[in-house]
Amino acid sequence: MSGAVPSRGPSDPVPAYYPGCSLDGLGKAYEISSRQVLKSLGLSLDRIVDYNCCGATEVKNLSQDVSVALPARNLALARSMGRNEVVAACSGCVYSLTRANDAVQDEATRGRINSTLARGGSPEYDGNASVQHVLEFIYRRAGPDRVRAAVRRPLEGLTVAPYYGCLYTRPKRYTGVGKTPGTDDPEHPHFLDELLIACGAKVVTDYSAKTICCGGGHALSDLEVSVAFSASVLHEAKRAGADVVATICPLGQINIENHLDRIRAEYGDDVIRPVAYFTQLMSLAFGSSLREARLSDNFSRPDLFLRSRGYS
Amino acid sequence: MPIVEKSLVEVERTETLEVDGIDVSGDWNTFLKSRVSSDLDARILDWVKGEPQGETISRCWQCGTCTAGCCMHTDYGLTDFNPRYFIYLAQIGYEEELRKYATTIWRCVSCNKCVERCPKGVKVEEVVHRIGSYLTATGAAPESPADRFDRAYTKNLLRRGVLDEAELFREYERLEGRKTPTRELLRMAWTLLKSGRLHTGPLAHRTRGWSRMRSVLEAQLAEDDRAHAPRSRGPPAGGPR
Repeated sequence: MSGAVPSRGPSDPVPAYYPGCSLDGLGKAYEISSRQVLKSLGLSLDRIVDYNCCGATEVKNLSQDVSVALPARNLALARSMGRNEVVAACSGCVYSLTRANDAVQDEATRGRINSTLARGGSPEYDGNASVQHVLEFIYRRAGPDRVRAAVRRPLEGLTVAPYYGCLYTRPKRYTGVGKTPGTDDPEHPHFLDELLIACGAKVVTDYSAKTICCGGGHALSDLEVSVAFSASVLHEAKRAGADVVATICPLGQINIENHLDRIRAEYGDDVIRPVAYFTQLMSLAFGSSLREARLSDNFSRPDLFLRSRGYS
Repeated sequence: MPIVEKSLVEVERTETLEVDGIDVSGDWNTFLKSRVSSDLDARILDWVKGEPQGETISRCWQCGTCTAGCCMHTDYGLTDFNPRYFIYLAQIGYEEELRKYATTIWRCVSCNKCVERCPKGVKVEEVVHRIGSYLTATGAAPESPADRFDRAYTKNLLRRGVLDEAELFREYERLEGRKTPTRELLRMAWTLLKSGRLHTGPLAHRTRGWSRMRSVLEAQLAEDDRAHAPRSRGPPAGGPR
């Protein structure tokens, strides 16, 4: 079993960055705040130009080859930029990129996929780009210490529920999480906890919804289930005493926010919590204003809540 | 004859019974109904294994770790959703029993906890989807909302290389015959427009030079579709007609 491909070359000073559709679309606040955070920490990423959608968890149900070729094209572009490492901010993208890596370790598959890529006018993929989540990237390259040093406005008095969701850590067979040194724990992830604590926030420790699914790709096709899971992300945050939920995946963020009205109707107003990308909260701690960190973009309006707590 | 647990177990049956002159009457909760299955068809397993998504099914040794952690089974409480059992039924080729789950099996949300935990390296989530698509391909299960979403999603992304989220939303609603009230749509559109996120229709992002890749991938998709089409591979004899 190959698992995630460890970087075969030296680690890149500036890894390639795969935005994926969400970061250029509904998740724009995630992209902008990520850039602010990386800049404050002296880290940089090089955007893959003319990337394509990774296929998420949907395409693989229709065709294995298309589901591998889509992410493989992006990884091939990163390799042709001379990079060994690719960073993505969406857990769904991390899943499909690492899944493609797993598939092309098989020589016959790699040959078939490369012939598809070549016919489509894309560079071929050698299978040697390692993929990580932007949370792992920040944790590994900067870590809590450098984050602490960059904080200009500690998130004091803020209690945050760290919501990792499903595909950040899972499955290790693809993501390599827990297997490769320096990676997070697949069952009990803690990187987000540590970074938020370094920003001065209080992080709830008994948050049982930490790694549950938000309903994922079934947000529209199975409302009943998706609303129930999204509601429990908020309900558990309430039970644990959190004011805000921090997310690391645009799908989770958008699903929960998209269901807010239904959750309110079914479970009452008091389970509702503002939901924000972890980079928005970090950016706020690094000195950005609410507006700069795009906290008013979110449908759950964390900006209103934070303003009531004295943030501007 | 394989023992298919659930369907063969009678719950709480009071019996009056004498064995070798000894009275063993009482409340029994595990009487096994005797039954003979003659309709098992190994071709279901072959079909599931026929694509890389389903290959790992043979490694399963039925420990049930997948079901124990399954968020649909355990957290959501849909106890009929039992990946271990689906795999078992596919392994022995018990189509009749499998068909009882025709409208349940599609509800996997792909959280991948099962794949994470499987001690045998079975890609449970992908295998379960493969079993589900066997049922749809042979006509034993109706096309599910998730099937329609997968299709709409793939079609949308292949158009420009990147997804047009707003367009996908509209296209999928049309497929399901649903309609979000115009007022709500306008409210959403306004929020997105204000924050510069309304990249849809003519404003949609696109991948430069995508058209060549699009035609190659669409051809690949059509080819795989034909392979999945009912009867093209000769569905197993046990399949519905």
